[in-house]
Amino acid sequence: MNVLSSGEFWAFVGVMAGIYTLFTLGLQVQFGLAGLLNFGQVGFMAIGAYTMAILVTKVGWSMWLAAPLAVGAAALAGVLVGLPTLRLRGDYFAIVTIAFSEIVRWVATNEDGLTGGSQGTINLTGQGTAAQYNGQWERFQRWVGAQLHIADKDVVMLLLVWSAALLLLWLTARLARTPWGRVLRAIREDEEATSSLGKHVFVYRLQALAIGAGMAGLAGCVYAWQFSFFSPDDFQPLITFFGWMILILGGVGRVWAVPVGAAVFGFLFAATRFFDFAPFSYLDSADRAYVRLMVIGLVIIGLVVFRPQGLLGRRDEMVLE
Amino acid sequence: MSALLEAHGVSKAFAGVRAVDDASLVVQEGSITALIGPNGAGKSTLFNCISGFLRPDEGRIELAGRRIDRRPPHRIVAAGLGRTFQTARALTRMTVLDNVRLAAPAHPGERLRDLVARRSAVRRREHEVTEQANDLLRLVRLDTHADALSGTLSGGQRKLLDLARILMASPRLILLDEPMAGVNPALREELLAHVLELRGSRGITFLVVEHDLGFVMQASDRVVVMTEGRILMDGTPDEVRNDERVIDAYLGTHA
Repeated sequence: MNVLSSGEFWAFVGVMAGIYTLFTLGLQVQFGLAGLLNFGQVGFMAIGAYTMAILVTKVGWSMWLAAPLAVGAAALAGVLVGLPTLRLRGDYFAIVTIAFSEIVRWVATNEDGLTGGSQGTINLTGQGTAAQYNGQWERFQRWVGAQLHIADKDVVMLLLVWSAALLLLWLTARLARTPWGRVLRAIREDEEATSSLGKHVFVYRLQALAIGAGMAGLAGCVYAWQFSFFSPDDFQPLITFFGWMILILGGVGRVWAVPVGAAVFGFLFAATRFFDFAPFSYLDSADRAYVRLMVIGLVIIGLVVFRPQGLLGRRDEMVLE
Repeated sequence: MSALLEAHGVSKAFAGVRAVDDASLVVQEGSITALIGPNGAGKSTLFNCISGFLRPDEGRIELAGRRIDRRPPHRIVAAGLGRTFQTARALTRMTVLDNVRLAAPAHPGERLRDLVARRSAVRRREHEVTEQANDLLRLVRLDTHADALSGTLSGGQRKLLDLARILMASPRLILLDEPMAGVNPALREELLAHVLELRGSRGITFLVVEHDLGFVMQASDRVVVMTEGRILMDGTPDEVRNDERVIDAYLGTHA
């Protein structure tokens, strides 16, 4: 049977799109609203995932306490990264963020005692024991499934991820329309003019960075629950750039464009792996994994050329006069 | 009249070149003071020092007796000193109305905590700010453009928008950087009328960098002349017009 017609497969694609929505929504707040070039979003995701897993397995906390704290830790990391760097020019800030995310990954790889090192979370409680951080989550998932009479675990996950994503999308869309959001949009356009109107640009940027980092932290927790295991390798810089692809695909500055971009990206990314018709059938599956990146790259190039505002963005907001 | 703005011995150098060199000036409350001088005289640098965009190397600047020269721009605005820029800085991807509303001071809706905790106060203030912004747009006759993106405005209209926007911050003193540059003659008259009107009705003080000597002579009470980073002289428009040093600085040689 073709994998493309399996419900389980599409539920998986949907869950991934939901996780990417949470992840990219953070970028939308940071770049779409405040104009911050954050190329290290995956670092905040890693901090969220690791904080949750460590608090549950090593400290023995309830997941319900550990997860909010993990989101808070990611947001706090945003503040700590932002404090010394947000006064830098945009391009320097971008370089610092990418370095930050690599530092997080390398610390996670080498601090075996804290993170389980390169073997990943299974090694969190040391050699000879297999650490598990998601027992409570799976019980919760089963409970939700029982309440809704849904037997399929993946469908339950799909519902949970997208409930969280829709709630955050709605909150963010509301936030963007407040006077606070207005200040952020002004900063994105012209920070000097904005400060000449009495706004403390630095504080707003710090807030946007922290909120976006917190969203990545949540994406990290959900990612951890979905896969029951992760290692530093899951937090390659490439993940951040997937987020940027989604942002560009959907449309910069539009909150509701994020899930559209994530769905399209998720579909292209997952489905192209299983394209078994010509010309894809000439390649073996490993080669096809690379071809799909090229396909996505081409789609984005085409989009930037012909529709720079993305699928849902407003052209007059993206194109210079 | 008392001094609203005082600069004492302000200097600012870039890579060893003293763009502003020991400059002192006084702007009397309720006056329109013009700052003139040839290109490169240091007028814009002095403006940037006063408005907090540059930190002077030496000297002190006081607004109503309080030092402002170590403060960042947003705190100088809060202290009552607003400015416009040489090329109008309309936020082109925002509506004309949002441009003006943005400048409202003390808006609880701009604080995350208050957005959650003081929602009715946020709504009330936003309502108030919107009315005030619409009044200001009517004043500069841009009210029919309120919902258009400000990028659709002409250069002259953007200057009017800049003026309306800084008025929203209710400053006591406004620094205008070449308000007439790139503005067509009909709008020039209008801008001039607004400046005189605002001084009269709201008691706003103006310090204006301007090359249009017609405007300078017509509108200002005092004229400060700068050349090569220094203050050359300070007098009434008539005194300045007839001063040989000024003629010299502008024309290079004696006529």
